[in-house]
Amino acid sequence: MAYYDGLFNVLGLRTWCDANAGDSNLSMASLLAKTKPGTADDGPLFPFPSMDELHQACSSMPQSRDFTASVEAGFLEVKDVLKLVLDPLTQPLSWLLEMALTGFVSAPWWIIIPLLLLLVWYVTRSAAVTVFVTLSFVFLGFIDHLDAAFQTLAIIGVCTGICILIGVPVGIAMAKSNTFQKALIPLLDLLQTLPTFVYLIPLIFLFSVTEPKLYGIAIIVYAIVPVIRLTDLGIRLVDRDVIEAANAFGMSPRQKLFGVELPLALPNIMAGVNQTIMMSLAMVVIASLVSAPGLGVLVLRGIRNLELGVGLIAGLGIVLLAIILDRVSKAAIARVSSDQTEA
Amino acid sequence: MISDPKIQIRNLYKVFGTDPKSALRFVKDGMDKDKLLAEHGHVLGLNDISVDMQVGDITVVMGLSGSGKSTLIRHINRLIEPTDGKILIDGEDALLLGTEKLREKRRSDMSMVFQKFALLPHRTVIDNSALSLEVRGVEREKRKRAAARWLERVGLGGYENHYPYQLSGGMQQRVGIARALTSNSDIMLMDEAFSALDPLIRSDMQKLLLDLHVELKKTIIFITHDLDEALRLANHLVILKDGAVIQQGEPQEILLNPEDPYIEAFVSDINRARVLRVKSIMQKTVSQSIFAGDIDGEDNLESVIARSGGETEHVYRVTKNNEAIGQLEMKDVMRALVPRAASGPRSVA
Repeated sequence: MAYYDGLFNVLGLRTWCDANAGDSNLSMASLLAKTKPGTADDGPLFPFPSMDELHQACSSMPQSRDFTASVEAGFLEVKDVLKLVLDPLTQPLSWLLEMALTGFVSAPWWIIIPLLLLLVWYVTRSAAVTVFVTLSFVFLGFIDHLDAAFQTLAIIGVCTGICILIGVPVGIAMAKSNTFQKALIPLLDLLQTLPTFVYLIPLIFLFSVTEPKLYGIAIIVYAIVPVIRLTDLGIRLVDRDVIEAANAFGMSPRQKLFGVELPLALPNIMAGVNQTIMMSLAMVVIASLVSAPGLGVLVLRGIRNLELGVGLIAGLGIVLLAIILDRVSKAAIARVSSDQTEA
Repeated sequence: MISDPKIQIRNLYKVFGTDPKSALRFVKDGMDKDKLLAEHGHVLGLNDISVDMQVGDITVVMGLSGSGKSTLIRHINRLIEPTDGKILIDGEDALLLGTEKLREKRRSDMSMVFQKFALLPHRTVIDNSALSLEVRGVEREKRKRAAARWLERVGLGGYENHYPYQLSGGMQQRVGIARALTSNSDIMLMDEAFSALDPLIRSDMQKLLLDLHVELKKTIIFITHDLDEALRLANHLVILKDGAVIQQGEPQEILLNPEDPYIEAFVSDINRARVLRVKSIMQKTVSQSIFAGDIDGEDNLESVIARSGGETEHVYRVTKNNEAIGQLEMKDVMRALVPRAASGPRSVA
């Protein structure tokens, strides 16, 4: 018999154990034991008292698959309520993504490329970066990857924008309240360490895979962390002497925030935005698993159909996009920082 | 002074720590700073401070680092809240002001100059000095005009559109002073304002401050750890040690009559000939009729010695506005040059 029989006998739980014997599911181990009689007692000398092991001795004990099943049941239980709240709340995200995607793809290239280059020039004021971006676009266009690249860019643009819109105020609140900071840091740690695929699982149950907000939420939740953290840090790092001067001259909290703290924290906030952009790019590729359009889809096709060339070229396109986004945002940071101090 | 003091500080205590109120009881029972820290883990910042700061005076608070002088000046505009005591400004209890009233007071009644300048690095010089007017909601053109005028006055005309990092330390502090002046407040708080500057620039800035003081008659509270600076600027000198006032009064008086070994040690390093003035050591009666010449009461002893050519027998008549107010024997000059601790009982009034 099972190893832990004695334990339940000693505890006087035998009758409880056998009360509903027979109607429980068979575990894999016991199935195997049935097919190969005589091997049942060949297990380890002192097996770990796991749920399955205890179940063998006492059929009233739940098995570990009951545990996973109950987690799933619990999630499905709250799913409808969650959906009721989240659906209307996140609907604008779907609209925004759809608008951006159609906008980027349907606009003729001779309008969209000059517009993007103008934006790059405005943000960086750097001829080198602008020339590099131009060449990259020409190359991507030449190999017929421009549409996919623009779809990826559109998604990153929308998601980064929302990350900043939510992340900066949250970061400010964190900098102002130590309690809030303490409460939020474990959550941010969790978001940063959770494997990217795990994000997608509950979202697939919540939203239909055809809705853009599914991948939108996954990207935002994954990429928002650095902008929150660095806004918090940036505001906390503002020179205390300057804050004291602001107080001594009677600035209100609002005047201090917009006149002193945010401008001085700007280089740090921008560094957070740079990180957020890069993380959005990483996630948008993975999010192609849940129907996010763009270069990621081509990579996915390369993996699924073993089309080596398709996957590699799309990968090259992603690398190019990554370099563009990184250089542009870094150049913007450098410009902002040099406006303030030499340091 | 006949008028009421501009700022009256009465029995001010500040204890830093987790439970300052109960630690305060031990202080009032006479426990000293070291014992309070060792036994109760609280730091005594200010210990029973009472000072009057007169309208239009420069009150200098002097002490070494850790003596509580920066803590004291921050109580006047309540950047630090006291544990116990009273602060009256124009006779009004400053501790009763609510957040909004306090902000109003900081905006229009007092301005502050900082040791590390504390300028806003992302703003131009003119926007920095217009800060207080901007906070008050004065329109852009008007506040720029006012700021430009004061920048001109402190010698920074032409630098309006520079950024602080483009200026030297001395120039940055001029911006700090212009910022304080632009607010047009009666009270100026200066926290070690010149301590970060090199000696020549510091001397320039002291002269600028004295000129401005003559011109504007502001009530200035100046914090310093440098006795030379204190003696040059002060109408009223307050000396702090371990959070308590150990002597306060007219600077010349403190120099001639140090009441504490701590102050004696301070005073012994001073060039007394340059600091002491004739009126502080002269005999107030005119008993002779033959004088080697007339000297002004405001002259320092250095100039008198130079004038006597080293002759110790001369007696000078001391005048003020061409009227005799006393006489000065060169012997007294020699005596006054030796710090009191070494000179025995003092013979001059």
